[in-house]
Amino acid sequence: MNPDPAIPHKTRSTLRKNVLGMKAAVAAPPRPVRIALLGNPNTGKSTLFNRLTGLRQHIANYPGITVEKKTGAMVIAGRQIELLDLPGTYSLSATSLDERVVMDALGGRSGHRAPDLIVCVVDATNIKRNLFLVSEAAELGIPMVVVLNQWDAAKRNGFRINSELLADRLGVPVIPTVAKRGQGLEELKKVIGHTLADPHRIPRILWPEFIDEARDIVRNGLAEFDVDVTGPEALRMVFDTDSAFADKIGHKHRVASLLNAARDRIRSHGMNPASAEAVLHYRHLDALLEGVIGGDRRVARTRNSMDALLLNRFWGTIIFFGVMSVVFQSLYAWASPLMALIQAGSKWMQEAISPLLAGTPMIQSLVSDGIIAGVGGVLIFLPQILLLFLFIAVLEDTGYLARAAFLMDKLFGWCGLNGKSFVPLLSGYACAIPGVMAARSLEDPKARITTILMTPFMSCSARLPVYVLLIGAFVEPSHGPIIAGWTLFLMHFVGAAVSMPLAWFMNRCVLRIKTQPFILEMPDYRVPTLRNVTIRMWERGREFVVRAGTVILAFSVIIWALLYFPRPESVAEKTREAFLAAQSATMPAAEVSRALADPESGLSMKLAHRIGGAYIEQSCLGRFGKALQPVFDPAGFDWKITIGVLSSFPAREVFVATLGVIYNLGADVDEGSTDLRAILANEKWHDGPRAGQPVYTLPVVFALMVFFALCMQCGATVAVIAKELNWGWAIGAFVTMTGLAWVAAVVIYQIGSRL
Amino acid sequence: MLDIVSIASDCTRAGRLAALGFLPGRQVRIVRIAPLGDPISLEMEGQEISVRRAEADLIEVKEVG
Repeated sequence: MNPDPAIPHKTRSTLRKNVLGMKAAVAAPPRPVRIALLGNPNTGKSTLFNRLTGLRQHIANYPGITVEKKTGAMVIAGRQIELLDLPGTYSLSATSLDERVVMDALGGRSGHRAPDLIVCVVDATNIKRNLFLVSEAAELGIPMVVVLNQWDAAKRNGFRINSELLADRLGVPVIPTVAKRGQGLEELKKVIGHTLADPHRIPRILWPEFIDEARDIVRNGLAEFDVDVTGPEALRMVFDTDSAFADKIGHKHRVASLLNAARDRIRSHGMNPASAEAVLHYRHLDALLEGVIGGDRRVARTRNSMDALLLNRFWGTIIFFGVMSVVFQSLYAWASPLMALIQAGSKWMQEAISPLLAGTPMIQSLVSDGIIAGVGGVLIFLPQILLLFLFIAVLEDTGYLARAAFLMDKLFGWCGLNGKSFVPLLSGYACAIPGVMAARSLEDPKARITTILMTPFMSCSARLPVYVLLIGAFVEPSHGPIIAGWTLFLMHFVGAAVSMPLAWFMNRCVLRIKTQPFILEMPDYRVPTLRNVTIRMWERGREFVVRAGTVILAFSVIIWALLYFPRPESVAEKTREAFLAAQSATMPAAEVSRALADPESGLSMKLAHRIGGAYIEQSCLGRFGKALQPVFDPAGFDWKITIGVLSSFPAREVFVATLGVIYNLGADVDEGSTDLRAILANEKWHDGPRAGQPVYTLPVVFALMVFFALCMQCGATVAVIAKELNWGWAIGAFVTMTGLAWVAAVVIYQIGSRL
Repeated sequence: MLDIVSIASDCTRAGRLAALGFLPGRQVRIVRIAPLGDPISLEMEGQEISVRRAEADLIEVKEVG
C-alpha cells in the first residue's frame, strides 16, 4: 500500500491528491480482501470470474471512462473476498485513460485500493506471451498466483508443461485449470487461501542499470515540481510513447524533455525505447521458461482446414453472409413472436387493471398508458437483446467472431471503425439497443465509441412503418410499385451513408483519443459451453433492465404526462357540441342521440376519436408542437406533422399511432390503413402562405422520411448510450442526430419544392 | 519464413507489437491475407495474430533461406 516509504505518509497523501488529478487510496479501513484477475484477452478470464463468483456480480463503469468494471463476491476459508475482473490486456502500457484502468487498479490510484493479491490468468497454449504481462505486473510487488488456464487445450496441442518447475522459477504458486469445466478451481481456491496467509511475490526483473537510471531521471525530475509517481509508474512513462500518465501531469514541455532525456539514456545503449521493455522482459522469460515447456506444438488439423474454408475469398465470404443473415433474421423475425407476446401481455395487464381504477381517470391513464406501457416498452427489447447475445457468445466462444472481423476489417477501417463493428451495426438494422450493447466486443475505446454512435443511424425496424405509410400513400400511387419498392430499399441506407463519413470526420477531428492499432488474435476453434452462453445472456439482459430500463420507464411516464395534461373537461364538451351540431345538419337529432347512446356505434367511435384529437392538440406536447411548428416550417411540416415528430422522440414507433389520433382516426391505425393514407393525401394547409395547397407534397414526404432516417427518436437508445458511455455522449449524439435530421429535411424540402 | 530485423519506429504502435513478441531475431510467417487485401495474418512463436498493413509495415523483415 505504501510503495515508497521514503516519502513521509502525510506529504504523500496531499501530493497524490494533486498528482494526476485524482485521489489516491489512503490508509484503508478494514474491508474485505481484494483480489484482482489479470490476464490477456481470450484466456478464459471472464469464465473463471463467473465460475468463482457465480452470479454474485456487480457491473458498472469506471468513473469518467467507458470501461466496464466487474466485481464479484466470494468466500474463501471464511474470508469475505471482493474479486475484481480487470479488462483483458496484452500489456500494462497505457496511452489512454481507458488503458490506465489496469495500472491504476493495481497501483491503488484513482480511488482504487491496491489488491492484496493478483490472480494472473495465463493461457497455457501461449505461456510466454501471457507471462509478459505477468512479468510487467511483478514490478508492482503485489503477491500473485498464476493460473494456467485452458490446460486441456495445451495438452491437446502437444505441449508438455512442467508447472511445478514454472512455480519454482516464478516463486509463486502455479495452478493448472480448465475454467470452462470448473476443473482445478477447488485447488485454486485453496491456494488463494494459503497465499493470503503466506504471500509470495514474483521477484522483479533485474533491469540493466541504464533502465534504472532512465526511471530515476523521470522520478526525480518530477519530484522537483512536487509530482510524486511510483517507480513502476515512472517506468511506464519511460516505456510508453504517448503515456497516459504523462498526459495528466501538466508541465507538458518540461515533462516531455524529462522523458526525452530518459529515453535518450536507453537509446545511447543501442535500444529502441518503445521495444526495450519487451526485449528485456522476453529475454528474461526465455531464460525463465527454459525446460518448462516441452513437446511440439501441433496445430490442430481441424483449425487449418477450418481457416482455409472460413477465410477463403469465395467460400469464406459466402459463409460470413450466411451466418450474419441468420443473426439478422433472428433479430428481425424470430424475435417478433416473443415481442408480440410481451405486447399482448402488457395490453392484457392494461385491460385487467384499468377497470379497477375507473373511478380516477388520471390514475387509470398514468398506470395504464404511463407505467404499464413503459414497463412493456422496456421488456419489449429483451428478446432481441437475449438473441443477439446468444449469437455473440456462441460466435465469440467458437472463435468465429475474430475470423469475421478479419474478413470485414477493410470495409470499416477507413472511417475509424474496425472489423468488429460489423455485428453491432448489423443488429442496428433490427434495433439499435442490442447493437449499442454489442459494441462491448470492441476493445479499442475509439472504435467502440464510434461504433456506438454510428449504430443508431442504421435503419432500425421501428422506422419501417413510417416509410411504408408515406411511400404507400404518396410514392406508390404516382410512381408505381417498382419505384416504391426501390425507394423503400434505398431509405434503409440513408443513415448508413450519412454515418460513415461522419465517423471518419469524428475520428479525425472530434474524438481526442489516441488511435490504437487493430490487433486481432486468431484463437483456436472451441466448442462453446451452455453455461457460459447462458451467463452472458443473463448478464446482458439483467444489465439492460436494471441500468437502462429505469431510465426508459421514466421517459415513458414523462411523455405520458406531457400528452395527458392539461385536460380540462371543457375540451371534451366543446368538441361534443361542435360534433353534434355538425351531425344534426345531416341527420335527424333523434337518430344522432340514439347512435351516441351505444358506445360501440360508428358515430360514438368517431366522436371519441374527435375528443382524443382535441385533447392531444391542447396537451403540453400539442401546444409545444404548435409553438415549434415555425422551426419545422422550412422543412414543410405543418403543426400536425410537428406534433407527430415531437411525440416520436421517445420512441419513433408511435408516429403512425399519433397521426391516427391527430387525424381523428384513433390510435389503432397501422401503416397499412387506407383511411389514414386517404386523409393524409387530402390534407390541405388551412392558413398561411400555402393555404389550400396539399400538405403532403413529395418534397415534404421525403423530408419527413429522411428526418426519421437520421433523427435519434428513441429514448431507449439515448438511455443505453448513456449507460454504455456516459450522459455527455448520449446528449451529444441526440443533439447531433436531431440537428443533422433537421438540416437534411430542410435541404430536401427547399431543393425539392423548387425543382 | 521471415526473420524480424527490427521494429522500425518508436511510436506507440511499435511498442504494442513488441509486447506481443514481434521482436528482432524472431521469425514470422505470413499465414494469409484477408480477402479484401487487409489485414494480414501472421504466425509467430506458435500464435496467430492479424494486424493491418499499416502496423505490419513497422516490422522490418528479411527472407530466410
